[in-house]
Amino acid sequence: MRKKKKGLYLSDKPPLTTFGKLILGLNYFILFSYCIVIIWPLFRMTTAAFNGKQGRYISLTGRYEFSLKHFEYLFKETLYLSWVKNTLMIAVVTALLTILIVSFTGYAYSRFRFKGRKASLMTIMLIQTIPTFAGITAFFTLHSIVSDFFPFFSRQMMLILIYTGGGIAANTFILKGYIDSISTELDDAAKIDGCSYMQIYRLIIMPVVRPMLAIIALWSFIGPFMDYMLPKALLTKPESYTLAAGLYTLMNNRETLNQPAFAAGGLLTALPIVILFIALQKQLISGLAQGSVKG
Amino acid sequence: MLNEYLYDHLGRSYPRKNQYLAELWKLEDAYKKEPTTVLKEKISDFKKAKDNHPYNLALKEFEIKEKAYLNEKKQLLLEEEKRHPNFSPDILKLIIEEKSAMLDQNFYASYENLSYDALYGLDNAKARLRILPEVIRRLSEIEEDIKLISEKEVTSFIENKDSSTIVEDKIHLEKALKDLKEKKSEGLISEKALTNRRKELKKEYKYKQQVKKLDDPLLRKQEELRSKKFERENFLKTSKRLLKDDLADVRRNTPVEVYAEKKYLPWLTLPFPGLGQLILGQKTKAMLFLIATLFIYFAAIPYALGFGNYQGQGISGLISLATSGKRTDRSIIFMIEGIIALTLLTISLITYIFSFLDVRKVEKQMVEGQRPRNWFETKSALLEEGFPYLVSLPALFVIVFIVLVPIMTTILLSFTNMGPKTQSKFPWVGLSNYKMLLAGQGLVGSVFWKISLWTIIWTLGATTLAITLGFLLALLAHNPRIKGKGFLRIIYILPWAVPAFITIMFFSIMFSTGGELNMILSKLLGRSVDVKNSMVWTRLVLILLQGWLGSSYIFLLSTGVLQAIPEDLYEAAEIDGANSWQKMLRITLPIVLFQTAPLLVNQYTFNFNNFSIIYLFNGGGPFSPLEYGNLAGSSDILISYIYKLTINNQYQSIGAAVSIVISVGLMFIAFLGYKNTKAFKEERL
Repeated sequence: MRKKKKGLYLSDKPPLTTFGKLILGLNYFILFSYCIVIIWPLFRMTTAAFNGKQGRYISLTGRYEFSLKHFEYLFKETLYLSWVKNTLMIAVVTALLTILIVSFTGYAYSRFRFKGRKASLMTIMLIQTIPTFAGITAFFTLHSIVSDFFPFFSRQMMLILIYTGGGIAANTFILKGYIDSISTELDDAAKIDGCSYMQIYRLIIMPVVRPMLAIIALWSFIGPFMDYMLPKALLTKPESYTLAAGLYTLMNNRETLNQPAFAAGGLLTALPIVILFIALQKQLISGLAQGSVKG
Repeated sequence: MLNEYLYDHLGRSYPRKNQYLAELWKLEDAYKKEPTTVLKEKISDFKKAKDNHPYNLALKEFEIKEKAYLNEKKQLLLEEEKRHPNFSPDILKLIIEEKSAMLDQNFYASYENLSYDALYGLDNAKARLRILPEVIRRLSEIEEDIKLISEKEVTSFIENKDSSTIVEDKIHLEKALKDLKEKKSEGLISEKALTNRRKELKKEYKYKQQVKKLDDPLLRKQEELRSKKFERENFLKTSKRLLKDDLADVRRNTPVEVYAEKKYLPWLTLPFPGLGQLILGQKTKAMLFLIATLFIYFAAIPYALGFGNYQGQGISGLISLATSGKRTDRSIIFMIEGIIALTLLTISLITYIFSFLDVRKVEKQMVEGQRPRNWFETKSALLEEGFPYLVSLPALFVIVFIVLVPIMTTILLSFTNMGPKTQSKFPWVGLSNYKMLLAGQGLVGSVFWKISLWTIIWTLGATTLAITLGFLLALLAHNPRIKGKGFLRIIYILPWAVPAFITIMFFSIMFSTGGELNMILSKLLGRSVDVKNSMVWTRLVLILLQGWLGSSYIFLLSTGVLQAIPEDLYEAAEIDGANSWQKMLRITLPIVLFQTAPLLVNQYTFNFNNFSIIYLFNGGGPFSPLEYGNLAGSSDILISYIYKLTINNQYQSIGAAVSIVISVGLMFIAFLGYKNTKAFKEERL
């Protein structure tokens, strides 16, 4: 019995010809060699971070010796921890503000047909294609005017407002698309039962759109981690830098240059984000796709 | 011009009660049909004798009597208040209200047919009498309950620690623990059993205590009291709302009769929003408009005139740009304060228009026969129809001050010559920046076209490479015979998940002179290569690097779409005799492209403005001053060029001009894109 089964072809796909096998082999070869292309630089970064034999520069020829001294350097000699703190603060506040503002506009643009709706939507969509950086001169001056009246208004707060303002249009559009796909029957029923619009939003729309709000919050949270340009231009003191601007000083600044420490910092920064991305990849992708495909 | 009938907001008609106006209408109607001088004189005579018309005399008498009645009512109500000293203030208020309604009913009943105002007073009183007695009865019941509960004498056995049952439990627990210890010392149970059992016993004891607590009369009493009090508050709130709703209904269903339009009123209110509303008797609304008026006259206009500015001079500062000002004055601050002043003036203008239209509308409706809305109605309408505007206000605020004001500033800056030598003071120079850029002249204009060309090559090359690579990999990995897809996915997500600035910086290290990849490249080609010092190599590596970074996202995106394509499409194609190449070309490719098109377009605009990769990889270099001047490197794209102009070299005005040029271009492309997306075509209505 067992002998017979061995010769039996059980797959529902047609058996491969020699040519097909060749193609399949080639297929595997391409896919896995690209894996190496992806992993190799990241692997080099990891080894560089742990290599105790390296000085301020990363070099190929040096010998390898496992050591945590670059991490030690990162925590003791650089401002890495305050960069982490700054970035987290900016990211969290940006995410919260964005959610607060966008959840209302998304609801308003999806459920109400008010005067100037389409025109304003089109306008903000067009305006947001202008790179945020275009207004940099004004950001400087606005900040110096406001901070003269309110000394607690720091450049980081300005950055938070810029990130929030820059995200309103796109996120409104994404959320609007998502709410559009929810049937209005629930709303209507609640309206008949005497709910005000605020109550409908709080009791009905909010629970349904929570996944989308989470995705928007997540993207607004990740944004400040990824951005280099605005922090570099706006923030002047190394203590107030975000991670991107701070780590760059380890790579390019003559006095503070320490490439292995940069690798170590990069590794530490990347790790939580990579885990986040791998865990939530489906949601992140669908969040991006929603706004444009269904919109 | 009068109408024969009065109309409410639903267009229902009511006959006139005002005999004088009814007769006047007849005369005017006749004149309209047949304009003779006799009739005209008759009308003017009739108008002159207005005060002696019997109806108007009766109306006047009514008004005098009403005034007297209202004074009398005040007295009566005061007396009534004294008569019930031991009611709670809420109930007392309701009783007074009820009494007032009763008096109103008696008084207005005899004038019901005289005027609609009297009828309104009557209906209003009736509506109140319909609801109030029931509310008073129910409320006193609840208060009685509260009183009963709070007077109940209860003793708590929780507070009283000596209470027998609690002590019993405690003794029980202690005894059990003691037994357990003895058993342990006798060696009957293990150490682990001892701790476990001990925990168990304590938990049991705690649980018993909790159960007893719920049985405790004092706690129960407190709980009951709390729920009753909540019921009372809630009932009061809903019944007040109900009453207001009913009264609003009466207001809508009883017309108002006024003599003629006060055409001057909207115009009178134009300079002072709120005045007209006050005259029409809408007090709360008027208050809100008056606050806006205060803002206009004490904030917006003074600011625009230059008072209270940080440094500038309001609107006039926008024109002068501080060129003749003090040494410490800075033109850029003058410009921004001018723009802020303009914004505030725009808000003021909107308020003026809004108030004007509001008064005109209310006024017109009054002549037709509709009573102006009271605050309760206005508020409901505002929350109903104004809801989308109301909730968008925070967004509007942020967009105006964080997006619009900076963009305005950039537009205006591009018409000045703010540069390294004119940082604090700069004049208007008109279109000369643009002329310089377009003609390719001057220090910065000469490289503009070169950089633009490279920007376009970069955008098309890098994005197309990433898309092709990502799509091909997705297609290969989609093959059902491939195993280990989960592993592949996790690896392929990495370039997207690792923050780009980290990978770019690390690649930059590896491609620097003496860097690892640079050496490998030299070995492979058999000659020494220095990537970061060669324009061609830097550009090539940049494109490849972006391909590496961007393909990851495209891979994930297309994998999602590929998995969603229904299998029967392919089966049908196979039956029709299609080979795999045809299936791919006619089914897979169109579906993937169609589904992801907007995102792919976004990828192009993203790379057009991809500052990070250019700046972090090689700082825009290598630099070749002969070809690119001192301001830009040979791999700079427009956005990094703007950065260098603005931040590093302080050519803000030219940077602004370049920003505007690319923004207009991007906006045009985006407009074409959005106009055709489903979002704008298939609006759900």
